[in-house]
Amino acid sequence: MLDHDVILTMKGIEIQFPGVKALDGVDFELRRGEVHALLGENGAGKSTLIKCLTGVNKMDAGTIMLEGREIRPTNPQNAMDLGISTVFQEINLCENLSVAENIFIGRQPMKRGQIDWKEINRRSAELLERFHVHIDVTRPLSQFSTAIQQMVSIARAVDVDAKVLILDEPTSSLDNDEVQRLFDVMRDLRAQGMGIIFITHFLDQVFEMSDRMTVLRNGHLVGVFNAGEITKLELVSTMIGKDLDEIFDLKRAEQKADAGQMLKADHIGVPGKVEDISFSQKKGELLGFAGLLGSGRTETAEMIFGVTRMQNGTLVIDGREVKINEPMDAINNKIAFCPEDRKRDGIIGDLSIRENIYLALQARRGMLHPMSRKEQDALADKFIKMLAIATPDADKKIRELSGGNQQKVILARWMATEPDLLILDEPTRGIDVGAKAEIQRLMLEMCQNGMSIIFISSELDEIIRCSNRIIVMRDGKKAGELNGEGCTQADIMQMIAGEKAGETA
Amino acid sequence: MSSVDKKRSNKLVNFITNPKYLMVLATIGIFCAIYLVGAVLYGDKGFTKLRTFAMLFVDNAYIGISAVGMTMVLITGGIDLSVAAVASLTGMFIAYGTTVLHIDPVVCMAFSILVGVLLGLGMGALVTYLKIPPFVATLTGMFFARGVCSLISRDSISIDNELIDAMAGWKVYFMTLKDGEWVKIKPVAYINLNVVLFIVMIIIGTIILQKTRFGRNVYAIGGNEQSARLMGLPVDRTKMMVYGFNGFCSALAGIAYALYVKSGWNLALQGGELDVISAAVIGGVLLSGGVGYMIGTFFGVLLKAVIPSLITFNGTLSSWWGKIITGALVLLFVALQQFVMTGSGRKKKSTKQK
Repeated sequence: MLDHDVILTMKGIEIQFPGVKALDGVDFELRRGEVHALLGENGAGKSTLIKCLTGVNKMDAGTIMLEGREIRPTNPQNAMDLGISTVFQEINLCENLSVAENIFIGRQPMKRGQIDWKEINRRSAELLERFHVHIDVTRPLSQFSTAIQQMVSIARAVDVDAKVLILDEPTSSLDNDEVQRLFDVMRDLRAQGMGIIFITHFLDQVFEMSDRMTVLRNGHLVGVFNAGEITKLELVSTMIGKDLDEIFDLKRAEQKADAGQMLKADHIGVPGKVEDISFSQKKGELLGFAGLLGSGRTETAEMIFGVTRMQNGTLVIDGREVKINEPMDAINNKIAFCPEDRKRDGIIGDLSIRENIYLALQARRGMLHPMSRKEQDALADKFIKMLAIATPDADKKIRELSGGNQQKVILARWMATEPDLLILDEPTRGIDVGAKAEIQRLMLEMCQNGMSIIFISSELDEIIRCSNRIIVMRDGKKAGELNGEGCTQADIMQMIAGEKAGETA
Repeated sequence: MSSVDKKRSNKLVNFITNPKYLMVLATIGIFCAIYLVGAVLYGDKGFTKLRTFAMLFVDNAYIGISAVGMTMVLITGGIDLSVAAVASLTGMFIAYGTTVLHIDPVVCMAFSILVGVLLGLGMGALVTYLKIPPFVATLTGMFFARGVCSLISRDSISIDNELIDAMAGWKVYFMTLKDGEWVKIKPVAYINLNVVLFIVMIIIGTIILQKTRFGRNVYAIGGNEQSARLMGLPVDRTKMMVYGFNGFCSALAGIAYALYVKSGWNLALQGGELDVISAAVIGGVLLSGGVGYMIGTFFGVLLKAVIPSLITFNGTLSSWWGKIITGALVLLFVALQQFVMTGSGRKKKSTKQK
């Protein structure tokens, strides 16, 4: 039992939140020189466990032993002093300070009672050099890319003599090269004997980096696996507690042959952004938009919804030619739009779930027809039940929900307006497999009930799985159109790459 | 160009293009430009004389002293609307204390400073622990201080006290060597106690902000309070100290103002808080927090002071033009801040979307 290689043990951790038991008797063990992945769906309790380790949340029961001594971190600083450093998902640094200062603030080397800036700059440059980052450390952090900022926060975390390093979704905003660079750093640190707790949604990365994995579900420990002991599929079904086939047993919405035309876009465009886009969509059809980031998918959606004003072409909705100059026009034409960045454009964090849901419907009814509290409650309860939003009640603040549940609330907001056309821009990004499948199922159900959906996604497999037809975008133009049925990822990729001219409709 | 030269020039380019310093450099640049314009237009009337320059300090030292504390508050991302009211209360304490109650002026001043610090800490506590927006918290502080001031007296009280007279009359003259003898330069130029206080406070403020952990925490809080907390910095304590320090500065500014006008009045310095805030903003302090330098504020005060001086020299323009130009300058700087800050912010965002 007394393994000298074990650096950190958490035993029987319990945390009670109002209405939910966030963690229920969870054990966790970390060895020296190991990368240990902590896995689970959103809301499984990963973050809560980490917050408990860093002293943000108080445990109701359980013990934490660090190198054989019981510890009880009271706040992040205290945890850091004990040797537990955390790099959070959102970069928690001050952009107005220099790179060097971000690494050393709070523990600056002093000389004759004054901050020794030379020493700070020298040591920071040295430290970043180790991570193969060569930059002018005296420049403000805001001038550097997210990847560099991420490296800086890791540099800060490891320079405090950390024994345990927690990386909470460190790769979510990095591109592939940057991820590899981060992994190199992680391998270095592992070789130096540091214990690393690695949290991520990307299963490929889990399999590439981790030595062991601990899986949580609904606040319970489900299992601990060694790398190589378990396949990706098994891991996913352990995480969600269902068989994969069951989850992804989705049927494309059936297209009625006599369905009327919902939308016809004729050579629409905004010069310089997207040009000359033509397509049509039937009622009850799910139209997928594929293409690289920046290829004009979002821009097309924003044009239809009136976020950017269309300059060329015409738009026919439900047989009538319409002019859409601003989102209100689109809403009046029964179009709804879930934007890509839900944190920035979608949720209003401090409002409750109920308020976030009735927002759009109220806007359409206008100021003079306020919804009564009773109507609001009924509406919120209906959608919470229908979309299975995990919350104790409708008055919880939306920012306290997990990403997948936030996304469902936004879906509910627009579904409440009973639109004829729903535009979803990356609705499944950053949420876990189970929630993803649920969102997809919802989309298909809505289509089945006659709603038309424009579905924008970077993940080709989900586009293919759900869409009746797929529009492929390239460089602000329509590259081609494919049928969902019988289409493969290779077909889409070829079209994105421009190797094969698609037939234009 | 030798490699050493090249390195040095690179360093210089880096320094100038560093957005951290851009605002301060702009302030200094505009000050120099306006001063030059004055020199060209009114050089013959004596605009370039040392006396004119020294009077910029003498007439605005109390604003500058308050601006030192305000700079710190603004850098945390806060604001303090109570400074002028607290300064006016201080003036009233000194005037009423010395002239009506005949209390020793040193005691009056010490008491004023104590009250200033306590008021600052009180407002700081509202902001820090009760999470009341600084605007509201200090607005209540402003009404409170004005109210107490009017309770003491609603009339202006002239200060009649020897020590105060001595302090107000203390001057250091600029001298020149003439025929082997030191004589005052003509026209007579001097600085007084207020100017010394102003400059000393700017130096102290600079040291605090640049050389102490406390000062760096002030910047971190202004940059991102949540991050500062997660980095383990003592956010609450730092904010309390900043508001306390600002209370001290307000009281000190009140003392300086009392020495300047030698009276106490409940309606003194009406709207003065906005003069102080605009001086800091013109000095390149970001209203949204996180950016600013004491030296910038120093030049901000001078820049704000040189405009009315120019108008006086012109002689024909209405003095209200001073306000208009000040307003334009504030607008210019706020716009410049937006440009510089979002400019660098946008750059980052675009790499993020990659």
